[in-house]
Amino acid sequence: MADTTLATPEETKKKWHYGINRWFVLLFIILSVFGARAISPVLPHIQLPAERYSHIPLFTLPVIGEFYWTNTLTATVLVDLVLLILALIIRGAVKSGKEVLDGFAGTVEALIEVLYNLTESTAGRFAKTIFPYFATITFMVLVANWMELIPGVDSIGILEQSDHGYPIEPVLGFVNTIVKTTAEGHGDATFTLIPFVRVVTTDLNFTLGLALISVVMTQVIGVRARGTKYFGKFINVKTLFSKPVFGVIDFGVGILETVSEFSKILSFSFRLFGNIFAGSVLLFVIGSLVPVFAQSIFLMLEFFIGLIQALVFGMLTMVFMSQATHGH
Amino acid sequence: MDAEAAKLIGAGLAMIGAIGGGLGIGVVVSGAVQGIARNPAASGEIQTNMILGIAFAEAVAIYCLVVALLILFVF
Repeated sequence: MADTTLATPEETKKKWHYGINRWFVLLFIILSVFGARAISPVLPHIQLPAERYSHIPLFTLPVIGEFYWTNTLTATVLVDLVLLILALIIRGAVKSGKEVLDGFAGTVEALIEVLYNLTESTAGRFAKTIFPYFATITFMVLVANWMELIPGVDSIGILEQSDHGYPIEPVLGFVNTIVKTTAEGHGDATFTLIPFVRVVTTDLNFTLGLALISVVMTQVIGVRARGTKYFGKFINVKTLFSKPVFGVIDFGVGILETVSEFSKILSFSFRLFGNIFAGSVLLFVIGSLVPVFAQSIFLMLEFFIGLIQALVFGMLTMVFMSQATHGH
Repeated sequence: MDAEAAKLIGAGLAMIGAIGGGLGIGVVVSGAVQGIARNPAASGEIQTNMILGIAFAEAVAIYCLVVALLILFVF
């Protein structure tokens, strides 16, 4: 049995790592207890629009207005980089000519296969057209949502002087931290934090953009699949004269269909934004109330919510697109 | 009344709408679990549709949440 002899050192090695990791976890717990006692965390100033790094606009367009480099824009670039690196790794694995992909590439292949089978069972022969949108949106939102779990996101950044902030205190020489207002006061200047990276799905612009892409491409795919007959769904005059009563009802249904296309944009963007923004506010509040253990549980919750919301956004796009391809 | 206090009360009242989302998700999951119990072979398809239904029901609660967040952090 060659397999067992190969597996045994692997297993013992794994156990040994577990033993080391256990002490690391204990060390981090003790360190976080002491850290929370030394510098008690404060509830950060929560603001809905993304924070700007500077008040000087990047460039100005005549009609639309000024453009600023915001911290969610940095997060978008990071998400894109992660996805590009992922794609290059998979490309390398596919190009290597192996019949069966293993390791990381194999995992992604299995995941993509699950998503593709789901698309095929819903969309049928249009699966090849619809699948890229589904997979791209799912992976992009997934990576963007899971960024919330990385320590330092939302918590490391530039300190900016503002009216509704907290005083700061130097730690480790060049790093400053926000501290709670004490009785004696640390001086009159108060600061708020502008994080370097803020989770991109907590910016309504990003979710609105994705929703617009999803809904507009649904119309495009519908027209490509059914031609001008696709618009018969919205302006329904086919039965208006042959069946007077039901014709009027059908026409009204067409108007409702038109309204529902616009409400899709609203529901897509607010669903993702509301879930993730509420999640990050929850993490801020829990982190400031109970600094040590409690946040881990909510990080686990955010892990699942990020996954489910990414799947829901992608799957709804896929279902709407496949509905657009076939008539009633 | 203080404007700040009215804001807090308003945000709290806005979240009453979450009752609807909660009830909706309960109904959806109850139906899905009954369906899976009767026909375990169809569990994959039922779960997919269940998650979609939950997403639609949840959207209403999320609107309330967005309104509450807007009241708290924007106005």
